[in-house]
Amino acid sequence: MATPARTPAAAGNILEVRNLTKRFAGLVAVNDVTFDLRRGEILGLIGPNGAGKTTLVGMINGTIEPTSGDIVFDGHSVLGVPAYRRAHMGIGRTFQVMKPFPGLTVLENAAVGARFGAAGGIKDMRRAQDRARECLEFVGLGRRIDQRADALGGPDRKRLELAKALSMKPTLLLLDEVMAGLNHVEIEEVIEDIRKVRDQGISILVIEHVMKAITSLSDRVFVLHHGEKILEGPTEEVLRDPRVVEAYLGKKRTKS
Amino acid sequence: MPGKEGLTLFFPEKMAERVLTPVETRAGSAKRTIVFVIVLIVVAALAALPWYGNSVLVQFGISVLLLATLAQGWNIIGGYTGYASFGNSVFYGLGAYGVAIAMVQFKLPFWIGMIAGLVLAVVFAAALGAAVLRLRGHYFAIATLALAFIMTAIVSNVEIAGSNIGLVLPLLKSDVLFYELALGLLVLATMTVWWLANSRFGLGLISIRENEEGAAVMGVNTTLYKTLAFMLSAAFTGLAGGIYAYYITFIDPVGVFDVGLNVKMIIMAVFGGPGTVLGPVVGALILSTISEVLATKVTSIASMFFGIVIVIAVVFMPRGIADVLRRAGRSPLRYFVDNVRTHRL
Ligand SMILES: Nc1ncnc2c1ncn2[C@@H]1O[C@H](COP(=O)(O)OP(=O)(O)O)[C@@H](O)[C@H]1O
Ligand SMILES: [Mg+2]
Repeated sequence: MATPARTPAAAGNILEVRNLTKRFAGLVAVNDVTFDLRRGEILGLIGPNGAGKTTLVGMINGTIEPTSGDIVFDGHSVLGVPAYRRAHMGIGRTFQVMKPFPGLTVLENAAVGARFGAAGGIKDMRRAQDRARECLEFVGLGRRIDQRADALGGPDRKRLELAKALSMKPTLLLLDEVMAGLNHVEIEEVIEDIRKVRDQGISILVIEHVMKAITSLSDRVFVLHHGEKILEGPTEEVLRDPRVVEAYLGKKRTKS
Repeated sequence: MPGKEGLTLFFPEKMAERVLTPVETRAGSAKRTIVFVIVLIVVAALAALPWYGNSVLVQFGISVLLLATLAQGWNIIGGYTGYASFGNSVFYGLGAYGVAIAMVQFKLPFWIGMIAGLVLAVVFAAALGAAVLRLRGHYFAIATLALAFIMTAIVSNVEIAGSNIGLVLPLLKSDVLFYELALGLLVLATMTVWWLANSRFGLGLISIRENEEGAAVMGVNTTLYKTLAFMLSAAFTGLAGGIYAYYITFIDPVGVFDVGLNVKMIIMAVFGGPGTVLGPVVGALILSTISEVLATKVTSIASMFFGIVIVIAVVFMPRGIADVLRRAGRSPLRYFVDNVRTHRL
């Protein structure tokens, strides 16, 4: 069971996405997108609904087949590599539309990640359960480990989704709107959690509509709009850009 | 902490706060021991049955044990993996024909026939799995059902299988042997399912049942796991078919590729508790007994019996007896309402 050595400060990119395109029947969901994710950084991804963010994440973790382009993870192209192998390689994700194992307990949910995740998971059951429990306690579900997943409320489902991804021990974590539907206090907690995860040396792509999360977490941000990357740069700079204000934040500004 | 050297802790700072709770509570492991002892006593009593029961009971026993093995075999693919297979009667038929062809056409001993039937069923499951296990839900059920119908027609035209006339096997008048063989196979199947329930492989299957895409994303090789589950299911089903063929001494395509038998195994597994270790066995025992009693008393009700069971099982206890027992103590109304809610009926 070779656990890949984690060298947080190692130079270079953990993920390189090149000219990635996804066409659904008659619709270009992601159009010629190129970006890098540096080792140990938190990269923010913003864009209005339907911009192609979830599709992009799906292509990176292997649940959606790209139409063209390339994805290089840890120096190797992962095109055509099935999702489960990418999980073994260290790519973990959460789903915006959550995918819990409804009939299993919270502990069993996370145990799947622990027993199958990075490097094929921890084969020993006790160690795997220890790890699952650790991740659940980390996100604040420690008291609910024996409950069935479908008995959890909305915020706890979000926490479980995060814990499941963490239990895989990923080196790259793709977070698709994990804060949607959470209140201010809960958002603060999750922001803190994500920061701690990064401190472990894990590289993270954060998709959020919650601007506070993007500003306080991201080292850099890029913006998708109609499937195209329209901007990329340091967080402050990007969020000040008139195109972003118009394309993305505009609606919210006029409302409030 | 001893025994933890190899585990790179993910959140070391969390370790201090962590309250170490044992994986199994003492009460839980005591309960397990009791169940284990009871099962052991029941198996011993069953094994001794030919020495204190009459021949009618032994024959009934053979039929129940084979049905329970079929229900347990179906449990692996249907109960644990979540794929409602109607193709298991095909595995049963292949197992039966493996034995029949080996013994009748090649004059080989029974045990070689069993191996032939086993290989036929398992290889067929692998090939079939590659084709249909990518289908989900109803589509999978319908595809396997279609195959089950086609198989009767195909085998009816295979000369070595006796075409549509069938094959007559050599007669072995030893019900005790068949009984003990059937019991041994059921014990093996149940031990395998018990292992599944506690193994990494089994957890993979369960995660597929619960959410296949979620499982793949977390590292489960879903294609491989589903196919292996199908093959394992086919193995026990085929072996049961092989024992049946030698026991009954005559098989024909319509008799052993019987979709009705597939429906029966599903009802028994679902009635007892799909995705549990003992549920399908208990389900087979209870339903066979009731069905047998009815058949000797009121035949008109007996023929409707399995239909009635389906309705009752689906409406009142979709998760089987095992679940009813687990939640015993709750009021029946509450149980019913819970079921309606969790299964979005
Ligand atoms: N499986 C699919 N088939 C067809 N169109 C899809 C599919 N998935 C997403 N789309 C479309 O692709 C576009 C991008 O969707 P998505 O990636 O979910 O955007 P976002 O996550 O940014 O809201 C949307 O117009 C959506 O309707
Ligand atoms: Mg989305």
